[in-house]
Amino acid sequence: MKMLKDPEHQVAGHMAKDGRLGPLVDGEGRFFKPFQSNGRGEDEAKFYESFSSNKNVPDHIRGYFPVYHGTQVVETSNGSGKLPHIILDDVVFGYTNPSGMDVKIGSRTWYPGVSEQYFNQCLKNDRETTSVSLGFRHAGFKIFDHQESRFWIVEYKFVHRYKVDDARLALRKFVSSNSLADLIPDCAFASQVYGGSSGILAQLLELKAWFETQTLYHFSSCSVYMFYENESLLMKGGDGARAQVKLVDFTHVLDGNGVIDHNFLGGLSSFIKFIQDILES
Amino acid sequence: MHLKAPEHQVAGHIAKDGKPGPLVDDKGRFFKPLQGDSRGEIEVKFYESFSSNTEVPAHIRRYFPVYHGTQAVESSDGAAMIVLENLLSKYSKPSVMDVKMGSRTWYPEASEEYIQKCLRKDARSTTVSSGFRISGFEVYDHKELSFWKPDRKLLNGIKVDGVRLALRKFVSSNTLSDTSSKPDSAFASSVYGGSNGILTQLLELKTWFENQTFYHFNSCSILIIYENESIQDGDARAQVKLVDFAHVHDGNGVIDHNFLGGLCSFINFVRDILQSSDDQSTQD
Repeated sequence: MKMLKDPEHQVAGHMAKDGRLGPLVDGEGRFFKPFQSNGRGEDEAKFYESFSSNKNVPDHIRGYFPVYHGTQVVETSNGSGKLPHIILDDVVFGYTNPSGMDVKIGSRTWYPGVSEQYFNQCLKNDRETTSVSLGFRHAGFKIFDHQESRFWIVEYKFVHRYKVDDARLALRKFVSSNSLADLIPDCAFASQVYGGSSGILAQLLELKAWFETQTLYHFSSCSVYMFYENESLLMKGGDGARAQVKLVDFTHVLDGNGVIDHNFLGGLSSFIKFIQDILES
Repeated sequence: MHLKAPEHQVAGHIAKDGKPGPLVDDKGRFFKPLQGDSRGEIEVKFYESFSSNTEVPAHIRRYFPVYHGTQAVESSDGAAMIVLENLLSKYSKPSVMDVKMGSRTWYPEASEEYIQKCLRKDARSTTVSSGFRISGFEVYDHKELSFWKPDRKLLNGIKVDGVRLALRKFVSSNTLSDTSSKPDSAFASSVYGGSNGILTQLLELKTWFENQTFYHFNSCSILIIYENESIQDGDARAQVKLVDFAHVHDGNGVIDHNFLGGLCSFINFVRDILQSSDDQSTQD
């Protein structure tokens, strides 16, 4: 068994910190996500099982989901013992210096059937963040500052307080070359990362088209994780940004029951409009 | 000016307990009483803004009632009323359905009390699950030669299957009050389908909602209307109209993702019924 270590490029969710449980990577392309408590880990594994074998998911859509490799009991990141982990393809494997951003999609993170307590907590979070107003909220990001040659990591507890203008600014900074401390981001990489036939926008539009008709799953509390390679961005004749969109976090996925995931779709459409606005400006 | 109560109200405020209800005249106008608290003001403000908004494309403007300003009306004790186009004046036997759009009817600017009230209603209806709910409908029974309306209480309690059934009944010709017979969806393709049908119109609206950031149409309804007089000849004159703008707020650079999500879900329901009725007719 290869040695498992902390991933370098985690941007949101549960990071191994201060003794808390975090994910692990094997350095050869596999990502180990510890089962989340209260049955959520089992639910997530169950979703991946269902999704992997669901013949009704078109191939080009499957590419937006991490590849699943089953589960395994391994030693946790904080050495507290052994726990089942979900094994996925490490989506940033092969990227040297990726900037990444995690955006939770949907104007509500609760769904029918949850406990009163969970509903109240979700509603409070949705109203306090940009979820209700924008249909999405930032969960964290890691952006490479080309001026200072280092990463800026902004965690959930800070982005949680974002308002509409902060969200817009973050999306602009995500594709900028000037220092992130500057007030006005230059959006120098907007067309390379967001634009183009295989850029972020094109991928989001492809996902959106699927969401307009798919009634298989309702993705509550799921995130769009977008990332790109900084290394090749500035090189002429290189691979370019290699920007990618992945859907992540499937602890609260429900059966669609013949209805489209209108909550996710609305939020996704709003997010797309924000990206389009940045491309056009 | 001869004013009377409109014939085919399906939802919303009717004349009750001394409170004024809407009126229509014989010149194609609809008089809507200005609702209490700020709602009447908000609705007028919306119509004023919308009528003069040059950035609203002409093909989208047709989905909204024409606004004729406000007027004090004598027969309603001089109460101020919003004067609109009577959407049904050119129909002789209209079937009408009112669908409240959006997976939530509350919005951030509303009072806490209102938000809680909406949360309860939204959870009890198909609003949360499906992104819309049917507020009411009236359909013409071609056998009984009379109009039929489902019981309001029954309608409030329906779930997703009930919605599907209602959308089928809405375009059926067979006896509707007889719950044992299955709706025949005889008019599905005339009403929902075709290049001028409901589905085409909804898709046109959807495209606008993917980009417009002017207004957030909280608690708005989509009215679906069609003509029974000519439908046996295949001429449904089906029309989509947006109504009820008492809770519209500025978009502030953000699209109306709540309305859009619900609209897409509604489109999917209509499309499913159209496809299953097409399948049925090719099997006959």
